[in-house]
Amino acid sequence: MGRMQDFKRFMSFVGKEFNHILRDTRTLMVLIVMPVVMIVLFGFALSTEIKDVKVAVYDPSRDAATSRLISQIDASEYFTVTAFLDGEDGVLEAFRSNSADIALVFEDNFYHRAVHDSDGRLQIIVDGSNTNIGSMAVFYVSSIVSSFQKELAQEAALNQAAAGGSSSSAEDVQPVQIHTSTRMMYNPQMKSAFNFVPGVMGMILMLVCAMMTSVSIVREKERGTMEVLLVSPVKPFSVILAKAIPYFVVSAFILLIVLCLSVFLIKVPISGSLMWVVLVSLLFILVSLSIGILISTLVAKQEVAILISGMVLMLPTMLLSGMLFPIESMPKVLQWISYCVPAKWYIDSIKVMMIQGLGIRYCLDAVLILCGFLTVITGLSVFKFKDRL
Amino acid sequence: MSRGENTRKRIRELLGYTDDGFLREDEVIRTEGLTKCFGDFTAVDHISFSVNKGEIFGFLGANGAGKTTAMKMLCGLSKPTDGRAVVAGYDLHFNSDVKRLKKVIGYMSQKFSLYEDLSVWENIRLFGGIYGMKDRDIAEKTDELLLRLGLTEQRDRMVRDLPLGWKQKLAFSVAIFHEPRIVFLDEPTGGVDPATRRGFWEMIYDAAERGITVFVTTHYMDEAEYCNRVSIMVDGRIEALDSPAALKQRYGASGMDEVFRMLAGRAKREE
Repeated sequence: MGRMQDFKRFMSFVGKEFNHILRDTRTLMVLIVMPVVMIVLFGFALSTEIKDVKVAVYDPSRDAATSRLISQIDASEYFTVTAFLDGEDGVLEAFRSNSADIALVFEDNFYHRAVHDSDGRLQIIVDGSNTNIGSMAVFYVSSIVSSFQKELAQEAALNQAAAGGSSSSAEDVQPVQIHTSTRMMYNPQMKSAFNFVPGVMGMILMLVCAMMTSVSIVREKERGTMEVLLVSPVKPFSVILAKAIPYFVVSAFILLIVLCLSVFLIKVPISGSLMWVVLVSLLFILVSLSIGILISTLVAKQEVAILISGMVLMLPTMLLSGMLFPIESMPKVLQWISYCVPAKWYIDSIKVMMIQGLGIRYCLDAVLILCGFLTVITGLSVFKFKDRL
Repeated sequence: MSRGENTRKRIRELLGYTDDGFLREDEVIRTEGLTKCFGDFTAVDHISFSVNKGEIFGFLGANGAGKTTAMKMLCGLSKPTDGRAVVAGYDLHFNSDVKRLKKVIGYMSQKFSLYEDLSVWENIRLFGGIYGMKDRDIAEKTDELLLRLGLTEQRDRMVRDLPLGWKQKLAFSVAIFHEPRIVFLDEPTGGVDPATRRGFWEMIYDAAERGITVFVTTHYMDEAEYCNRVSIMVDGRIEALDSPAALKQRYGASGMDEVFRMLAGRAKREE
């Protein structure tokens, strides 16, 4: 009987919180629209579809093989040969003036070395500052080169047969070989455009959970309703829990939207297990909620809550989570600080599962650290929250 | 610890003494040497007083005199540093008692304390539910209450759209909706005109007639005149406690504001 009544009371609290959220249409729209806009914006700005990639060529050998390969590349719908360079130094200039996105550098005497020495060397230099073109362009060039290599090999075999000589049998075993090597300029790690998706997820979830929860609890303190609740027989713990549940639901909904947009609109391959992506995201939502609750126990004004979640959470999340800048290239001190940013671990593990397509095993440490954050922060806020002041 | 407390409480109940005689039969609040310190600062300094059943008890004091702190202790929001207080039969010293106490008191804070983005009816239902009232009782009493307040038409309106005077009447009605034994009002009429204040006090009288003890802090001296008895706090101590008429006579004053000025003038504490 008492249990039942407690539960009913609790549910009416949850209902009240939902009303608070749903009736504040402006905030709700921001919550839903912001992630959509961010994902769509990043998605379209960083479209991975490539077309008419500008190719600069440095071809000192100018033989039959190089000119055929160049015209094959030019003929493909993906590439347009825009410049013939006079030397390797021209590559940088072409990238800077934006007259080329990638450059092909042949070695001298290419045909001969490819057919007779099995060692034709072709270097593909990519302007890595254009992240979305890079890897795709390399992939397409390589496939054109390898089919060209087969062509050359067949011709060489025919020539051999026509010559009819069994005399040079030792030589004709030598296959035709073109070695391509790829060099990235400006962005040697080839950070994928998709890296933004986990970053945006981390940021949005942190924002919704931590900021919204803390603001909504602090608002009750500010308006005096918290005092009324504390005088009432309601357990303070259930007041807080009732606040956390609706934000958990809203966050899960936002997570769903972001995942759908990522998969169907900008076609991020979720190559790992979707279930684990969702579970780890839910874990991160819990961590963010607990941070929001902790903030709310420490401050008394909504503005302060917003400031803390904005400055103390958002900035480190954006700057130190690896979303914008690679953590590996930061000074040691900043790297250590970044270890204290929960979003870093979340974004890391989502990158591993969504983009690298590895299993949960490869980000188990990050997940365990998130669990640690959850335990410590929840413990702290329970400790800080006193029902009798 | 809590098991020990419960056992003691049960023994006290079995013996028929919810308050081991500390609280007299006609009293609903009694304190002795009740003290609250914040670090070195003694906000409430050994106050001893009692409040009778069904009384309207005015708790007066300048800002910073400690009246809000004292009231927070009495309604279980704040733990006393020292001294003893029994409220509605529950001893504030025991956490288990405080839990039970919360079911039988009502509270209205000086900040307007209903949810602005919930409708009139939703606020009533929420607080009725919090105090464990049954849905059917809530529905019945809501209709009755809204009719009495003349708010039947406004049932589905958001509370934020109501005028301040109505909001305060509604907040008071919600605070006594579950028929508490005592209702604590912390400067309930801040910011409203005297006419609305009078209307509000009529509601307080109604509640007192129904047997609800009213414990009210205020700094409007015309309101002090409406109380059965008033206490005046200065620097954390109770300087005077009696009916308004007796106080005026003792200090040879024509009104409560004069009495208050004479007593509050002794304050050494900065605001």
